[in-house]
Parts: sequence; C-alpha cells; structure tokens
Amino acid sequence: MKAKKNALAQGFMRCHDCGYLTKTIDQHSLCPRCDSHLHARRPRSLQRTTALLFSSFFLYIPANIFPIMTVNQFGAGDPHTIIGGIIELIDGGMVPIGLLVLVASIVVPSSKLVGIGLLLLCAHFRWQINARRWTVMYRVIAFVGRWSMLDIFMISILVNLVNSGSVQIIAGPAATAFAAVVILTMLAAENFDPRLLWDNQQNL
Amino acid sequence: MHSTHYDACPECDLLLRAAQPNIGEKAHCPRCGFLLSRPRKQSIERTFALSIAGFISFFPANLLPMMGITLLGNANTGILMSGVIALFNEGMIAVAIVVFLASILFPLLHICLSLLISGHLYFNRPHRHLIKWMHCMHHLDEWVMLEVYMLSIIVACVKLMALAPLEFGWGLYAFIALIIITTLLSSNLDEALFWQRIDQLGKENQP
Repeated sequence: MKAKKNALAQGFMRCHDCGYLTKTIDQHSLCPRCDSHLHARRPRSLQRTTALLFSSFFLYIPANIFPIMTVNQFGAGDPHTIIGGIIELIDGGMVPIGLLVLVASIVVPSSKLVGIGLLLLCAHFRWQINARRWTVMYRVIAFVGRWSMLDIFMISILVNLVNSGSVQIIAGPAATAFAAVVILTMLAAENFDPRLLWDNQQNL
Repeated sequence: MHSTHYDACPECDLLLRAAQPNIGEKAHCPRCGFLLSRPRKQSIERTFALSIAGFISFFPANLLPMMGITLLGNANTGILMSGVIALFNEGMIAVAIVVFLASILFPLLHICLSLLISGHLYFNRPHRHLIKWMHCMHHLDEWVMLEVYMLSIIVACVKLMALAPLEFGWGLYAFIALIIITTLLSSNLDEALFWQRIDQLGKENQP
C-alpha cells in the first residue's frame, strides 16, 4: 500500500499558512499554532481555478485586439497593440529588448493559460501522468506570472515621461484588460492545488 | 507518533520525517523535489537589519526623481508615484491602482511587517498581533513586484532613448538599492524559523 505515503491518508493536515502539521482530518478545525482554518486540500481548488482561468481567457482577447497605448505626435494619433509595440522594437534594431517584451507579454500569458488549463484537465480526469514533471510545470507557471506586469509598469513610466504638449503617450483600453489577465492568472495559479495531481496517481 | 517529528510536503502531501538540515544545506522533497527548508545563518538578525535598511532606502527611492527627459524643450521628471498619477488622470483608474499597490504600497507594507516581526523576535518581545502580521506578510510576498518594475524601467529607457536624451537621478540609484535589499530580505527570511520562534514566545509568556 504505497498510497499510504500521503499525509492525508495517515490522518495529518498541514496548515497552508504556517506549515504546522496537525494530526486531524476534521475539515472544520483550526491550526493550533496560527489559528487559520485547516484544509487538507485548497478548498474548491478546481472550481475556483476554472472560474479564474475562463475570465482571464476572455479578457485576453480584448487585451490583444485593442491598443495598449497611443503615441500622439503633433495631433496625429498612432495606436499600438501589444504585438505592434514588439514589432516596432524589433524593426528598430532592439532585438533583445523586443524578445524580452515578447516573452513577458505574449509567450508567458498565453502559455500560462494553456498550462493551467492542462493542469485542470489532468486533475479533473485523473490522467496517469508523470506527476513530478507536472508539478515542475506548475512551479514554473506560478513563478513566471508576475513578470508579465512588465508591460503595465512600462506604460505607467512612458505615460508620465512622454507628456509635453505636442508629443504624448496615452494608455489604451487594452492596458486594463491585460492587467486583469495577469492578476487573474496569478490568482488561478495560487488557487490550484498541485497535491491534486498526486492524489490521482495509482502507481506511485 | 507525535506530529512535530513529521512534516508533509506542501506540494505533493508526502509524509516525511522532519528534516533538520544544517546552515548552508537544503532539504528537498524526495518525491516532487520541492524545497522544504533552507536554514539561513542569523536569519532573524539579518532580516531585522535588512528591514531597517529597506525602510530607510524606501523614502529616497520614492521621493527623489528617478529619470528625466527633455522633449521639445519641455523637461519632465518621473518618480514612482507620478506614473500612478498620470495613469489616474487619463482615466485608467484600475491600472493606476494596480501599479500603486504592486510598486508602492505592498513593498512598503512588506518591509514594515518584516521590520515589526523581526524586531519583536530579535528583542524577544511577544505581541498578540505577531501571528496576524505573519499571515499578512505571507500573502503579500507574491504581490511585491519591485524587480519587475526595474525591468520595465530598462525597457522604457530603451524605448525613450530613440526619442530624446535621458538623465538619471538619485531616485533611481536609491530604487536599485531598495531592490537589492528586498531581494536579500526575502532570501534571508526563514519563515519556518519565524513561526517556531513566535510559537515559543507565545508559550513562554503564557501565565
């Protein structure tokens, strides 16, 4: 009976906040060390993650279609989408910075959406997978999420500095949508419980 | 079978005999590879010192001008807060709030909380809110995005260099110092040790 290795199977629960291990499986008890609620697994992990993932997926569409900023030069507006800004950087000869922005604002968010989707499917349909490899994927997703805020911070710097009457940068509607995508995917990754991947494995 | 002799991996729920690695060693979960513990030398003292340093450098980093640009004769300087205000004035209220929280309020709160907690632990003073502070700090950790902001300063500089000459102010150097300090702070802060010490302090001072 190798499945007995799980702490839950042996009657232990670990506190999410302080990491204290308690010998109880009562889902209504409090952590003896820090008084927070004990849960064997994150409560409603799959439902919450799915909800957050769907909302970020639908916000990802306006984030890419609408302009993220408009450069006003002498009265003529020049709107940029996320992809447009990257193409301009690469055309201007700034390839490394262009690639950096490409990774932070396109590769990371879209692969996060796909990755969290796969993790959810895997946990829901109890696929027999290499759980260790999938846990590493989860860790990468949880780690890189915050770096997508790069575009949002950059807009706040540009909007402030480039503001001199005839040349102006104005933030566009995609900025709000993109910020929401980043925050919602970070919350989705936080709500997903990687232990669900291990619970389904029969041959550990 | 007493529960303190055991530990569970937070990512795969494997029940383990509690590892007690020495300073400089790391304990990984044998099944999923999660970093279970990594004790730091003088964690409380160093956290205390770094939080004081972070608290001091927070103010020049936020109040002194970071960058200046001269466009068509108009000179503009920027600090962290002026970017938030510029977004706010353009009606991007939600984005302005997000930038304000992630780059100003949460870093300040995180530094203040670690200063309070490590200060109390350093002087062995119990406080009834220590546990609450630890919870707040634990949840704030992920939303402090100073290093992301640094990267976006670099990208913004590259974009602006094509437009006009840039000049850098003392605020930027203070900001770089702040990032180095907060990075060192989060790598020196040993949460498991802090929880243990808080637990001890609470037990010692019970009547």
